[in-house]
Amino acid sequence: MALRVQFENNNEIGVFAKLTNAYCLVGIGGSENFYSTFEGELKETIPVIHTSLAGCRIIGRMCVGNKNGLLVPNSTFDTELQHIRNALPDSVKVQRIEERLSALGNVIACNDYVALVHPDLDRETEEIIADTLKVEVFRQTIASNVLVGSYCVLSNQGGLVHPNTSIVDQEELSSLLQVPLVAGSVNRGSDVIGAGLVVNDWCAFAGMDTTSTELTVIESVFRLNEAAPSNITSDMRASLMESMS
Amino acid sequence: METVNVFSEKFLQIYQESVNTVVLEGADKEEAVQPDEWVKIVDDDWRSTSDSPSCSYCRVQFSDPQLQREHYKLDWHRYNLKQSLLSKLPITEEEFNEKTEKDDLSSISGSDTEPESTLDTYATAQGKIFLQNDKGQVFSIYRCLLFDRKEEITEKLLRDRLSRCCRDSPQWTILMLGGGHFAGAVFRGNEAILHKTFHCYTVRAGQGGSQSSRDNKSGGSQPKSAGASLRRYNEQSLVQHVRGIVEAWRPEIERSSLIIYRASGGFNRTVLFGGSNPLLDRADVGLRVVPFSTRRATFTEVKRVHSLLATAQVYSSLENATQHLAKQKSPETEAKRTKLRSSCINRAKSRETVERPLPGVLSDTGSETDLAAIKDSIEDTTNLDLTLSDLDSGDSLTPEQRKKASKKKKPKKSKTKKLKEQEEARKKELVDVLCRGDLDKLKKLLENPVRSAEDSELSKEALDEDCNTLLHVAALNEHEEVVVFLLDNDADPCLKNKNQQTAYTCTQSKTIREALKQFAKDNPEKYNYNKAQIPVNALTPEELAERRKAQRKVKREKEKEKKKENNVKRKEEEEKNRFLELSDREKRALAAERRILSQSGTVTARCFLCGSDMAGKVPFEYLGNRFCTIDCLKAHRMQSPVVLSC
Repeated sequence: MALRVQFENNNEIGVFAKLTNAYCLVGIGGSENFYSTFEGELKETIPVIHTSLAGCRIIGRMCVGNKNGLLVPNSTFDTELQHIRNALPDSVKVQRIEERLSALGNVIACNDYVALVHPDLDRETEEIIADTLKVEVFRQTIASNVLVGSYCVLSNQGGLVHPNTSIVDQEELSSLLQVPLVAGSVNRGSDVIGAGLVVNDWCAFAGMDTTSTELTVIESVFRLNEAAPSNITSDMRASLMESMS
Repeated sequence: METVNVFSEKFLQIYQESVNTVVLEGADKEEAVQPDEWVKIVDDDWRSTSDSPSCSYCRVQFSDPQLQREHYKLDWHRYNLKQSLLSKLPITEEEFNEKTEKDDLSSISGSDTEPESTLDTYATAQGKIFLQNDKGQVFSIYRCLLFDRKEEITEKLLRDRLSRCCRDSPQWTILMLGGGHFAGAVFRGNEAILHKTFHCYTVRAGQGGSQSSRDNKSGGSQPKSAGASLRRYNEQSLVQHVRGIVEAWRPEIERSSLIIYRASGGFNRTVLFGGSNPLLDRADVGLRVVPFSTRRATFTEVKRVHSLLATAQVYSSLENATQHLAKQKSPETEAKRTKLRSSCINRAKSRETVERPLPGVLSDTGSETDLAAIKDSIEDTTNLDLTLSDLDSGDSLTPEQRKKASKKKKPKKSKTKKLKEQEEARKKELVDVLCRGDLDKLKKLLENPVRSAEDSELSKEALDEDCNTLLHVAALNEHEEVVVFLLDNDADPCLKNKNQQTAYTCTQSKTIREALKQFAKDNPEKYNYNKAQIPVNALTPEELAERRKAQRKVKREKEKEKKKENNVKRKEEEEKNRFLELSDREKRALAAERRILSQSGTVTARCFLCGSDMAGKVPFEYLGNRFCTIDCLKAHRMQSPVVLSC
């Protein structure tokens, strides 16, 4: 199920929220509308945590995580870290990273098994990512952009990448990540996918400007509804044939 | 490199024709990207030919997806990724390996790379400017002679300024102020035509700082001591004095092309620029600050500043200049780096471990043989050269002789080498035998008549690169009889190998350890077993068994006691339960019975409700029922309400 949300009249909801299969972080100080959309959809299955990082609410761009762990930048306050630690399930490891590229959300894109990272990231950071998030780490660019976290969104089912990604690159990436990839956009043509969209394995939230076409692409590549492409040839076949004849 | 005075004819010749600024480093770097390479990238469009997994950055194909995943973690891939971001062609694996061998890959290191400080930044940090004339000569002078700090450097201005300050009006004024000292001079060329220095007591003794700044800090309450007022007065007089001097020199100062001053601190600057009618005009085009640190303001210091400013370094070519500067720079930066490292250790990060060689036995023997070889050769030379041998006696060698000795050593080396090889082979054999645990062969080897002289030493010397002795090797391979044999033949168990382990500690085997212990017990005086780390005062099995028996006995007794206590407790509990089961009337009867008995002995009184012992307490009572507490009483009353109306 893909939903449209807005954070205080801003469509870049990926900036203010971080969604994984085990938890959801939302930036503090938003409207109740924003929170209730997330909580209504997720509250029964995973915790929705209201927090800030280093006093900022752009938490989606500052941290990165999956069901195994959460990495926060070094500037995170102790109180914030304690709050997150208390609210998260025990199985999730939380780790602070000392890294020059502190907007971790922009430089790392990951699902529960693989991560793409900025080519300039520290080796030490790379190791921490592999250990904490339990992922295989690849240094890669997306459509010649080093900010892999901003220009692609991954889940265990699929991934959406920058609209300018060439077919060759897409094939390479998808063989690397072992999930199907689609080049697309959000928020009526915005190429900053990471900022406009948050997904996990069963739901997605996109900016309010996202068109229905974009939403359909998102739903199909992340397999959020039952109308998967294969259904056209199996379940819907009979009815289609009937209407055509 | 040579130094030239800026007022001299020679310097004039250098800059007369044309000058322009030069960049020391990076000038040739830009040529690296040739324009045709750009075209090539557009033309050369690599495509993977089949459906097999590939990497388009490195232009390789893989037979297996696993190989592809491995590839993406390589440094080579990372390097090519960066190349592609810079729109450059990727390199092949061989090229990459060559590059890494040469160690010129700055780009693949992680995000912790900091901007390289180039020679240019170093030069500008010194306040110098590098100029080149049409003959290719490079010279450096202080930038402040030509340009103000904020001014842009332009080619046209450059020559005008050069000729103005060095040729047309070579008159400079230098004023220095600080700590109550004043020194000023007007130079025409290299010669001081006017100069004056004086000193006033203005700096607060002990604390430092000027009196006026102290007064400003303390607000309303100013110190009223004699010293304070003296300093206050002196500050005023300093200002007056400087003003007087500068006013007197005014015509000369106005004629000079540069006014170079040093006035650090607020007070010193106000002397020169403060007041309603400032001494110097801040907007003056010739006004400059001394671009390096100076000492106390004296006339010699003023002269030094002038001479430093008035010298230019001339290099024959650009390379010469770069080399010279690089040489200057490197020790300084090195020092800085080491200082940084020592001052702040980041304990959160892993540090490189410093491995220091342990003092091994092996190195000793090696040097000994070398020494022996040298001695041999020395003897040879002395035989040959009678005069020398007459002159020298003992081990004191003249330098000549040493030289000869080292020269002579070469042909001899083969002999020592052979000896060494023999030794090595023997050692190997020994180790082999020990590993097999072949006692007879070992005996034979050790009893070899040729080596009998060294036999005692043999058991002590190190056999392999870990400095293991015979005993170590035997213990490690767990041959008990060999160990016993070696010990009987004077093998020292105190010797340690490279890991600081003795024969006892290097093995885990119980039998070997037992054998060593037995040996220690049999020969208690032979070695220092503390050093050998063999526990000597360990108990024999019989003693151990006895001790265990005693312990068991104590334990059993303790258990018995506990049982007894438990029995008592259980009895008490039973009694309590029995009492609780009684009806109130029976309880009363029992209490009465007890009371009768109490005339003869002690009787325990019990609470009628909870049955707890209340001997010695004052009971709470109603209708002849006795209770330990008021709560029990209340509960009892609630249980059996008394009909009041009877």
